[in-house]
Amino acid sequence: MILLTNNYKNALVAEIQIKEANLTISEQFKQQMIELIEQGNSYIIVNFVKVIYVDSSFLGALVAALKYAIPHKAEVVVCGLNKDILGLFQLIRLDKAFKIFGNVDDAAVNGIN
Amino acid sequence: MPQSKKILLVDDNAFVLQMMSKALIKEGFSCRKATSAAGAMEILKHDIPDVILSDYHMPDVDGFAFRQELIDLPEYKDIPFMFLTSEVDNKLMLEGINLEAVDYILKDTPVPVIVSKINNFLNTVRERHERTIKELSVAAMALNLHSVPQQLPVIKGFEVDFWHKSFQNYPGGDFIDFITIDDRYTFIVLGDVMGKKWGAWYFSFGFLSYVRAAVRICISNGNFSTKSILQKINAVVYHDPVVNDVLSSLSLVMIDAANGSVKYSGAGDLPLLYYNSNTRKANRITSSGMLLGLMIDGDFNETELILNKNDILFTLTDGIIDFETPQGKRTDYDVFEKAVEAFFDRPFREFKEGDFLKEKALEHVDDCSLIYLKKTTDDTFNQ
Repeated sequence: MILLTNNYKNALVAEIQIKEANLTISEQFKQQMIELIEQGNSYIIVNFVKVIYVDSSFLGALVAALKYAIPHKAEVVVCGLNKDILGLFQLIRLDKAFKIFGNVDDAAVNGIN
Repeated sequence: MPQSKKILLVDDNAFVLQMMSKALIKEGFSCRKATSAAGAMEILKHDIPDVILSDYHMPDVDGFAFRQELIDLPEYKDIPFMFLTSEVDNKLMLEGINLEAVDYILKDTPVPVIVSKINNFLNTVRERHERTIKELSVAAMALNLHSVPQQLPVIKGFEVDFWHKSFQNYPGGDFIDFITIDDRYTFIVLGDVMGKKWGAWYFSFGFLSYVRAAVRICISNGNFSTKSILQKINAVVYHDPVVNDVLSSLSLVMIDAANGSVKYSGAGDLPLLYYNSNTRKANRITSSGMLLGLMIDGDFNETELILNKNDILFTLTDGIIDFETPQGKRTDYDVFEKAVEAFFDRPFREFKEGDFLKEKALEHVDDCSLIYLKKTTDDTFNQ
């Protein structure tokens, strides 16, 4: 299981359970995200709190999920990024594609507004 | 030293598990142990072994059911699998052999024989794998497909070089190209298709074709703007169903040898590192563009720099800034910057042969590409 999901306030929180989010899980992650979007979840918080490293394949899968979400009127946001991962998001401008929050609570508040 | 082969041992008998793992560790293998199929599945989530050795007789899920479960999961199905059992029933052995990529070892086989059987088995799997890669590489060569250049361009007043290493020696998602328009203009292209191995390699050709076409079309229309070239590529990628599910970064640098300037635009790429030889300082040149195909408006910008003699511009992909640490992998641009700064006044060849890239070649986990551009003269020339 790559994503542990639970409903929180108006959001669906999908917590990544893997420390190193890389090529070996990226395709599965993308499929799970697509399923969550297809199930009608309109606000999905991807929680990175357990992740210490991401590679470009995984980021590709995350971005592909975002592209899938847009025509389905769903929003994908991220939270719990460590310093390195946040730095990487900023370096390659993913901070313009995703709303980034410190924790699930902040992300959930945004979902209600 | 080569890494020891990882074995995942699965047996409900803790004593057998302990004995077998001790014997195999003594023979230079590293072992993970699970007392059930469920336990083994837990381990597989975090750690993919070189081979799985599983008992047949286990309560709950037996060895065959476990093997079947693995076959049904694409990410585990190709892990070499061997049954280790006391079962001597021929019919059972046959059933086991039919479950793809398996071999069969009886538990009372002496340990040295087990070890050589495992080694032989792994060698066969490896040879088959290498043969497939070789055949695919030969096919790719025959089609003249290269995702990195076969030779360096000659640019008046500049020196260009690059270092590239693919992921575990598979052709991967990074692509490099030098497009020489004429004596005056040359383009440097560095992209990273977000994936690895064959899939990413295939798509890298798709992206590269778009880049080449867009560069040529813009130039033939008298449009020398890297920003508008990226906008064109992005629009095509965004709408094309063949590639719009795959994302790619791109750094595009246009060198104008007539005035010693470069124009740069980027799409979701890492900042370039620019060394100014007058101030003896390096700084990052960040572009604003998003990954190709992500949004219809990629928000691209264009930076122009006039390079002076001995100024250097590095273009890189993310493998260069990934590092193995005892706590796990991490990403840090600063580490690269610190490693390269001692080489600003030295030939690039020395950095290529230095420890930083040597270590990267040994332990890297991603495609790595680094392109070096240096202004070598004060002269500019007029067309």
